Amino acid sequence: MSESAVSAPQSKQSFSLWQRVSGWVVNPWGRPRFLVLITWAYMVWAIVPVIIAVQFSFNDGRSRTVWQGFSTQWYWSNPDSIWNNAELRDALVHSLTLAAWDVLIAVPLGVTLALGLARWRSRGSGGANFLMLFPLVTPEIVMGVSLLLLFTQLPPFTHIHTGGLAQVLGHVTFSISYVVVIVRGRMFSIGREYEEAAADLGASPGVALWKVLLPLLMPAIVASAAIVFAISIDDFVISQWLSSGPSTTTVPMEIYDATRAAPTPATNAIATVMVIVTLTSVVAGFLVWRAFTRGQHGAKQSTMRDFAAFDV
Amino acid sequence: MAGGEVKLISLVKKFGEFTAVDGIDLEMPGGEFFSMLGPSGCGKTTTLRMIAGFEQPTEGEILLDGENMAYTPPHRRNVNTVFQSYALFPHMTVWDNVAFGLRRQKTPKHDVRSRVDEALGMVQMDRFAKRKPSQLSGGQQQRVALARALVLKPAVLLLDEPLGALDAKLRKQLQLELKALQQQVGITFIYVTHDQEEALTMSDRIAVMSDGRVEQVAPPQEVYEEPATTFVADFLGVSNLMTATAEGESDGRCLVKVGDFELHAGRGDVATKGETRIVIRPERVRLEPSDATGENFIPGMVERVVYLGNANQVITRLAHGETLQALVQNTGDELHYRQGDPVKVHLPSEALRVLTDTGVAPVDESAAAPVG
Amino acid sequence: MYPRWLWPTFAAPGVIWLILLFLVPFYAVIGVAFGSVDPILGFAVPAWNPANWNTGWVTQVLGELAPGGIYWDVAVRTIEYVVISLAGCALIGYPVAYYIARHAGRTKTLLLILLILPFWISYLMRMLAWVNLLAPDGYVNRFLIWSHVLTSPYGFLDGQSSTVIWALIYGYIPYFILPLYASLDRIDRSYLEAARDLGASPFRAFLHITLPLSKTGLLGGAVLIALPMFGDYYTPNIVSGAPTTSMIGNQIDLYFHGGPQPTIGAAITIILSTFLLILMGYYLWTIHKATKELRSI
Repeated sequence: MSESAVSAPQSKQSFSLWQRVSGWVVNPWGRPRFLVLITWAYMVWAIVPVIIAVQFSFNDGRSRTVWQGFSTQWYWSNPDSIWNNAELRDALVHSLTLAAWDVLIAVPLGVTLALGLARWRSRGSGGANFLMLFPLVTPEIVMGVSLLLLFTQLPPFTHIHTGGLAQVLGHVTFSISYVVVIVRGRMFSIGREYEEAAADLGASPGVALWKVLLPLLMPAIVASAAIVFAISIDDFVISQWLSSGPSTTTVPMEIYDATRAAPTPATNAIATVMVIVTLTSVVAGFLVWRAFTRGQHGAKQSTMRDFAAFDV
Repeated sequence: MAGGEVKLISLVKKFGEFTAVDGIDLEMPGGEFFSMLGPSGCGKTTTLRMIAGFEQPTEGEILLDGENMAYTPPHRRNVNTVFQSYALFPHMTVWDNVAFGLRRQKTPKHDVRSRVDEALGMVQMDRFAKRKPSQLSGGQQQRVALARALVLKPAVLLLDEPLGALDAKLRKQLQLELKALQQQVGITFIYVTHDQEEALTMSDRIAVMSDGRVEQVAPPQEVYEEPATTFVADFLGVSNLMTATAEGESDGRCLVKVGDFELHAGRGDVATKGETRIVIRPERVRLEPSDATGENFIPGMVERVVYLGNANQVITRLAHGETLQALVQNTGDELHYRQGDPVKVHLPSEALRVLTDTGVAPVDESAAAPVG
Repeated sequence: MYPRWLWPTFAAPGVIWLILLFLVPFYAVIGVAFGSVDPILGFAVPAWNPANWNTGWVTQVLGELAPGGIYWDVAVRTIEYVVISLAGCALIGYPVAYYIARHAGRTKTLLLILLILPFWISYLMRMLAWVNLLAPDGYVNRFLIWSHVLTSPYGFLDGQSSTVIWALIYGYIPYFILPLYASLDRIDRSYLEAARDLGASPFRAFLHITLPLSKTGLLGGAVLIALPMFGDYYTPNIVSGAPTTSMIGNQIDLYFHGGPQPTIGAAITIILSTFLLILMGYYLWTIHKATKELRSI
């Protein structure tokens, strides 16, 4: 019920011009039309440009602004397409590789950290919690600078130098916090009672964790893996700062360089591929989450919250 | 199944500055249905959790059949719990839930099967074996939780307000079922509740608790009819608590002055002197015509009559100012007294109890008419 | 129930990682910024021992950030861009969040999905989309010429402050709307109904109840996007190539990637971080005060 539905019906009177105009804007008997307009206008503004960009990745011709017909050449046949252009292809492979390594390392680290933080009750836990939250609010350039200087100036880290390994390490560092926030949220909605019941029935702490807590945590773990994958693919700043040259460029870096130089629809194409990979990952994670938590309490609202705002 | 005797010796639990359990001594013989009753925050759940092993006592001992298990982890105690929220594992079927404990004990497979089937049959949930907990109603989950705990044949079963989440009718039905189950299985049940009616219905003995201490331990009848303290009197139904000055014993009964009136209290600490409280249950209060006289008759005026269906609550303001609640059974005859009528209130001395602790202050009974 | 050492042990690997790869790098920045520069070859000579710290470079940079210094314009411009972009995000984002939180009804789920969508579309793709649209022969120019607003293409991408600001708004607004939506959604409908029942018009109910209660959401969203925006360098680089629209992030970027002078770059980074820490501290203090107020009720 909208908040304006509570007003009493007005007696018949002639409406002044002001009342008529403001009546259109703030309609007491129904949806405020002005707000509807703004909301849908925003949605169009936010999404349509991207759709147009995707459309132009299928342009039959070299322009990114003038439509010349439909073609998949920028994905396949054209010598500058993703498939044929070694630079773009390598960037795609490298992005996927980084993302895979990121998931493999950040998720276990994040899950154990989440478990520890959610249950740890003594004085150290506040500091650890703060440390975990910090990367979420640090500007990427600050992280980029600090990691670059770490790997180039501070022994023994200088053995790592810039490059693929440095990029993985950087990605993991900002990904851990996302895993912790997601998994910890799920832990709070699960509560302690199942582990207590397991112990009551004879399960040692290890068994209780393994056979009861972890299965219940699985949807959050899978969802966080999907999100880490998506974040890693989309990452630009850290990848750029820790890159050591053409062999360690990622897709976002290629797009960045192309938009500043001479973009072709191949740029649109690779951007489209990136968007599809990311969205697929996120949707897959969401679906897994929903499939596993169906019927359990606290499922619906936490899903939305975890995938939308990181309500730390 | 022998044993199942639980002894709590000087049990204390502190959470930082806060003392939840302040020195409890309890003895629960094997096979008894024992309830811990009290308002929220009185320490009953904390005590139960210490017996289960989820909290470690700050001081004291917890003996099971003579052995102190206060420092044994919960998974090694021969004690099982039915949780308030049932805590059935959501990712397992009903059958797997009940089998969980047996599998931890490395029971051979065919034994597991027969025992699980038997346990589910005992709570009439065998048809639901393949379902998941989310597909069951509250009452059904409750039964599965029971089966899951009982299948392990523990020495003691702990129940933490298990019927709290159910509606009134289902609760009454399950109370009877639980009591029957306990008598059938024969093990000690330790039951925590804040609902005094529940405790009175089901228990062999009740421990009434308040602020981390035990006020009284006794069978239901004794706790209700012969409360040891004002708290117990007031917690279990309406107590008609009144202030009085005791003047010592006079042929087996206590002489008490209530306002200007002299009453003879036949129960409680009859030899006491000084400031006391007296209590009488509403169903023992007799209403007499205003011109009648006799021992323990006090004049008053009917302030309100509340119709309860099976009885009438008559709230009377006595001559000295305090109010009293009388419960008059509905016999089909019309009630003689209406609002505003003068009346004499008769407090039979064999039902009037004097209590020496002044812990609980009398409440103006006319303000809120508790159903009891 | 669990042994006391279990949880800290679980937390240890993650904590150690974060210490080594998140905290220690800050020390690397400090070491470089408070170090010196090799006089012949020009590379940075970090000073790891606090006793050897040379405050010269940091002081010099601080000096240049004052009015008249070489970084003054950039600093002022950055603050302008951020403040204007924040205002734009709030003006556009608040009505949208408000509508979805309070009025959307059946379309709410669809709108939420659409709201979350830009979150997961790469920032660079979203910028690329606008670079295409704002090109001289892009749809925006073509539409403006077709509707006779312009007679020849406008150089949106030729170093325009307004383009950068719009790009910042476009880029960061999803991160602003979502926390705002969350806080608006949380406001109990019955507060507003009570206000209306007591005689307030819809507008007054909004002004005196909804708006104050959404203040934390607004502030949270603002901080959430202001912090990264202060470090943004890629947005100006993509939608404008010109030094006249550079932000402080571009300055840092230049000192590391264009004729490297890492010492100066590190110095600017430290000053920027300190500034942001102060901002963050102020925000946390406001939240702390607000929660204390709520608790005292």
